[in-house]
Amino acid sequence: MKEFSRKRLRTIIAAAIAVLFSCAAVARAQSASPLSPTSPTYREVTDETGRTVRIPQPVNRIVSLAPSLTETVYALGLQDHLVGDTEYCDYPPEAQKKTKVGDTINPSLEQIAVLHPDLVLVTKGLNRLETVHGLENIGISSYATDPHTVNEIASSSKKLADVLGAPDAGASIAIEMEHHLADLQQHLASSPPKRVLFVVWHQPLISVGKHTFIADALRLAGAVSIVDSDQDWPHVSLEEVARLQPDFLVFASTHSDTAPATVEMLATLPGWNIVDAVNNHHIAVISDAVNRPAPRIISAIEDLARQLHPDAFVKKLEKEKDRNEKATPVPVQPPPSPLAFLSSAPQHNEAIPGGCACAR
Amino acid sequence: MRPLTLRRLLLQCTVLLAILFGVVIVAIKFGAVPVSLYALGRDMWGVLFHQRSGISTDYVLIIQNIRLPRILLGIIVGASLSVAGTSFQALLRNPLADPYVLGVSSGAGLGAILALIAEPHLNLSPMLAALLTPLGAFIGAAATITAVYFLGRRDGQIDGNTLLLGGVITGSFISAIIMFLMSTLSGNLRGLSFWLMGELSTPLQKSIYWFLGIGFFAAAGAIYTTASDLNLLLAGEKEAMHLGVDVPRVRLVVYIAASFLTGLAVSVSGAIGYVGLIVPHVMRLIFGSDHRTLLPTAALGGAIAVVFADTLARTVVAPSELAVGAVTAVVGAPLFIYLLRRRLA
Amino acid sequence: MSSSSALARNPIDPVRASTDVRLSVEQVSYAHSANPSQAPLFTLEATSFQAKPGEIVAILGPNASGKSTLLKLISGALAPLSGRILLNGFVVHSFTPRTRAQAIAVVQQESTLLFPARAWEFVLQGRHAHGRSLRFESDDDVLIAKNALAQVGAADLSDRWMDKISGGEKQRVILARALAQQPLLLLLDEPTLHLDIAAQIGLLDSLRRLAAENRYTVVVVTHELNLAAEYADQVVLMQRGRCLRVGPPASIYQRELLEQVFQTPLTVEFGSNGRPRVNVLSGTQ
Repeated sequence: MKEFSRKRLRTIIAAAIAVLFSCAAVARAQSASPLSPTSPTYREVTDETGRTVRIPQPVNRIVSLAPSLTETVYALGLQDHLVGDTEYCDYPPEAQKKTKVGDTINPSLEQIAVLHPDLVLVTKGLNRLETVHGLENIGISSYATDPHTVNEIASSSKKLADVLGAPDAGASIAIEMEHHLADLQQHLASSPPKRVLFVVWHQPLISVGKHTFIADALRLAGAVSIVDSDQDWPHVSLEEVARLQPDFLVFASTHSDTAPATVEMLATLPGWNIVDAVNNHHIAVISDAVNRPAPRIISAIEDLARQLHPDAFVKKLEKEKDRNEKATPVPVQPPPSPLAFLSSAPQHNEAIPGGCACAR
Repeated sequence: MRPLTLRRLLLQCTVLLAILFGVVIVAIKFGAVPVSLYALGRDMWGVLFHQRSGISTDYVLIIQNIRLPRILLGIIVGASLSVAGTSFQALLRNPLADPYVLGVSSGAGLGAILALIAEPHLNLSPMLAALLTPLGAFIGAAATITAVYFLGRRDGQIDGNTLLLGGVITGSFISAIIMFLMSTLSGNLRGLSFWLMGELSTPLQKSIYWFLGIGFFAAAGAIYTTASDLNLLLAGEKEAMHLGVDVPRVRLVVYIAASFLTGLAVSVSGAIGYVGLIVPHVMRLIFGSDHRTLLPTAALGGAIAVVFADTLARTVVAPSELAVGAVTAVVGAPLFIYLLRRRLA
Repeated sequence: MSSSSALARNPIDPVRASTDVRLSVEQVSYAHSANPSQAPLFTLEATSFQAKPGEIVAILGPNASGKSTLLKLISGALAPLSGRILLNGFVVHSFTPRTRAQAIAVVQQESTLLFPARAWEFVLQGRHAHGRSLRFESDDDVLIAKNALAQVGAADLSDRWMDKISGGEKQRVILARALAQQPLLLLLDEPTLHLDIAAQIGLLDSLRRLAAENRYTVVVVTHELNLAAEYADQVVLMQRGRCLRVGPPASIYQRELLEQVFQTPLTVEFGSNGRPRVNVLSGTQ
């Protein structure tokens, strides 16, 4: 019995060593093989977090790890180069058909790797540094954006377009955005800003801090957030809200799919009925685009502006009507803008399937 | 009467090694991207006999660069946590002790948070930047180990109960600080909660693997030299001393080595729970309480458990991933209840 | 006991001679607080006695007389404030725990095992002090352990779980573990506390037999007057930290002395074997 088990032991150990050796031999043979068959040229850029990124030229295959970046890629007309995005990338609807690599916090590095991307797009507010480092480890570069104001969204999209090899599209998007904003400012020039509370979530009550692009968007829509905080997602106490009595409460549509119902519910929640805005039904609901630092945020800003300052727009429309009747219309068709959807009537309730509460 | 012999120990370890090998094969095969083991084997065979120039690059990419490092990390982390858990259970004479009971994981978490806060203000090369979080976590762990050591002394020596009290209090205190920081800081700390649950998805540089491997064997080896002493320690301190154990020295060695192992594991993978608590008990049920067997079998058992849990974590909701800590909790908690009832029965 | 050459030879036992003094306690004192700025609280004042191989010494006295402290000093767990304790000429406290454990075995009253173990595992623990630190037990170790169990009459308990045997059986296994250490000195602190009368007699009979056969020096702390009288070769009489008398029971057991020490009326008789017997008088006299 003793000898039998000893012999068996020896064979097992020998077999294990043989397997280990063959694995090592194969690994050694593999270490020299390159990642991709052709040796590309590289370009070095500094991304918005200050990192130096080596980007292969040209950029043919892109993976986006944030819904806002996916939207921007589509807005730039580069959707054919987009080979993968996250589960939360739902706009435009075609984006849902792209290969999914996981969520934004912990995407599957394997999935990303087999897509052989030239560049992965990340944003500092949503993705993790570890993901970026992990991708670096397997030789994949990531470019990070980090916009904190609406203007920065515009310039960020422009820079991104430049990095991706479509500088013209980027320039025109930035110009379009500036146009719309300038227009908006004209409309709102004579209206004092409304005091609002932007509700990220109602229980616990979370709003936005002053350094976020959402706060900037509110400002551009003729509103000012009553919350003055350095944190990005401050918890606010209901008493404070009651004390400050905002003129309006603002919701983004994914958090109240059926907006009227939420308002009714709010009125019944303890404490909320002392907020005048609830009793007066001064609720503004805008699309989820306000949560995403992408060009589409302009539509949400305009929508909010119209809801908060209806007078400012009615007057203008009438004035425009007068002007148009007087002048001889010479239709000059501008080239089809990538931001075509911005000119259409603002939507209220796009039934966007629920995603992460803070997906942008 | 069947006292432990070297041959029996080696046999037990070989069986566990075989199981570990099987789990590794499963882990290589399964994942977000399908891998054909047949194709892989065929390619490897070909390379071995120079019939092919190399394995298909996709496989190299996934297996060599992503999956194998992750599996290796799982093995080291699982082994470290189990050995640490076994050691603490002996040191504190408490079957409920796990590697985190003395506050090491909280200290590592605080170190990681501070590193994340400091990172934008330091101008680091990309290589150093990637190392910053594990380094910060490890420093946090080391600081906690030192603090708890001084708190846990009585008459100049480590005392089991005092150590436990000091460790638990320190751990709670640091956890409170962590909660405070997380709720008031404006930076992006969302990723940190994922890490705190315990996850293996962050690939590390090769140099870290060397450090982990050497560190594990050094610390586990040090603990193993006290294996007989630990057996006696479990019978009681005074008895152990009268039977020839240098109790203060053994306590010190085990405390430092086991805390070091915990710090190592937590720095690279967050606080994966239940492994350090349950694996020692399972191995005790199967192999007995003799630490000369228990320590190596717990190490192998922990490696098996973590690699298996990690494979589940990255395949169950592919292409998304769960945190490994979530899987070990879901599996570990019921298993712990079962063990508890069996022990009381 | 077999005299195989593999059996460890204690470094402090060059010759197992029978008549030399083995244990020498010389003016040993101890205090919990030895700080000169505070008034020292003496637990034990200068005490001396000697013991030979094969002898049973009883440290006798009422509660709080310093008996346990004296035993701890002899075992090396405490260091004396003054004086010294010699075992075969070597100072006990200067040894490492490992070397001490090769010569001195302390028999506990109880054993608190955290995880269950079998009796033979328990007894094998006694071999830990011999040989290298990390090792697997050799055939000789196994033989010694078996032998030890046989000597206490517990050979049949070998495979039983320690938490499943009776108190008396456990005591025997604990004693076997001490024997497995192959000590020169056996120390026991109130070993009869939890035992019934039959078990008490059984234990002390075993001690006497083992001391004679294996030439142990046995030191027993007890407050049982008659057990000490019957089994001890020497009695060290203690009261409130002071050693009053040292000598064979016949010379120590005087009525006035014992009444004063134990604060209770009693009478002393002498049995047929020359050993004294104490009758405690109860109630009023």
